[in-house]
Amino acid sequence: MSIPNLTAAQHPFLNGLSEPHLRILGKTATPKRFAAGDRLFREGEAANGLYLVNTGNICLQTRSAGQPVRIATIGPGEVVGWSWLFPPFFWHFDASADETTEAIVFDAAQLRKDCEEDKAFGYELMKRVAEIVVSRLQVTRLKLVQSVKHDLAAALPKGE
Amino acid sequence: MNTMDTAIATHPFTRGINPRYLHLLTKGATYERFGADQPIFQETFDADRFYLIHSGHVALHTFIPGRGVTTIETLGGGDALGWSWMFAPYRWHFSATAADPTEAVALCARTLRDEMEENRDFGYWMAMRVSGVLLERLQMIRVRMLEMYDPPE
Repeated sequence: MSIPNLTAAQHPFLNGLSEPHLRILGKTATPKRFAAGDRLFREGEAANGLYLVNTGNICLQTRSAGQPVRIATIGPGEVVGWSWLFPPFFWHFDASADETTEAIVFDAAQLRKDCEEDKAFGYELMKRVAEIVVSRLQVTRLKLVQSVKHDLAAALPKGE
Repeated sequence: MNTMDTAIATHPFTRGINPRYLHLLTKGATYERFGADQPIFQETFDADRFYLIHSGHVALHTFIPGRGVTTIETLGGGDALGWSWMFAPYRWHFSATAADPTEAVALCARTLRDEMEENRDFGYWMAMRVSGVLLERLQMIRVRMLEMYDPPE
């Protein structure tokens, strides 16, 4: 079930996209609903989707020393999934819904094809996806700072 | 072709580029040499260059309160350095210092940005490649984060 009449108002990611580009995206867009605990994808699987989150929250996590580590929480207005754009085209993390979550999901194989066929569209899409990677990097850096603070707090003598 | 044009044309970053776009990369570019420990750019300063490292090593680092200056990654010949120039507000997210004598081509960021807007085919290609660089940095900072992460006992 595609969304032929996709509009820029449906998600911040779509802001500023031209009508023709929205039509290209609409062809591969599917509205999806995930229940709490539903898995969107698993680390190591082929990356095949771009998710624009409308409601709810998505948990991105990996494992370190056998422990699950939450890398990021993706909420309304945010986006999950760019691994499909870059080799080796598999997911780097697990993603699951924290709560009931609604998202617009795009078919990555078709998006890649559309980017190659229409470079102006590809440029617009790439710019947006790259912005997401930048914001994810900033969040990760902040977590790095926080984890160091956590270590410092743990290292302080107890009771002081 | 002069040294700089050759360095650009043979750099792994430009592999697969449409040859007619090579001159867009050379516009306003300079060939730079850095001594050991010489800063190349600093966090929060204007990101006005994009470097293709030819030889030597560059330490990419950031300041983390409580830990001091932390190296995220060391880059070498054949690596591309810098992605902040592609995203407003065009300020460096990290600092870079030559770890040993380093030679690199410094591409002009403003020229690249203008050409990318002007020519979407070139823009798409550049955005893809620079995003690849960006993604490598993201993976590496995540590795650093997991290294520093102490799982609760």
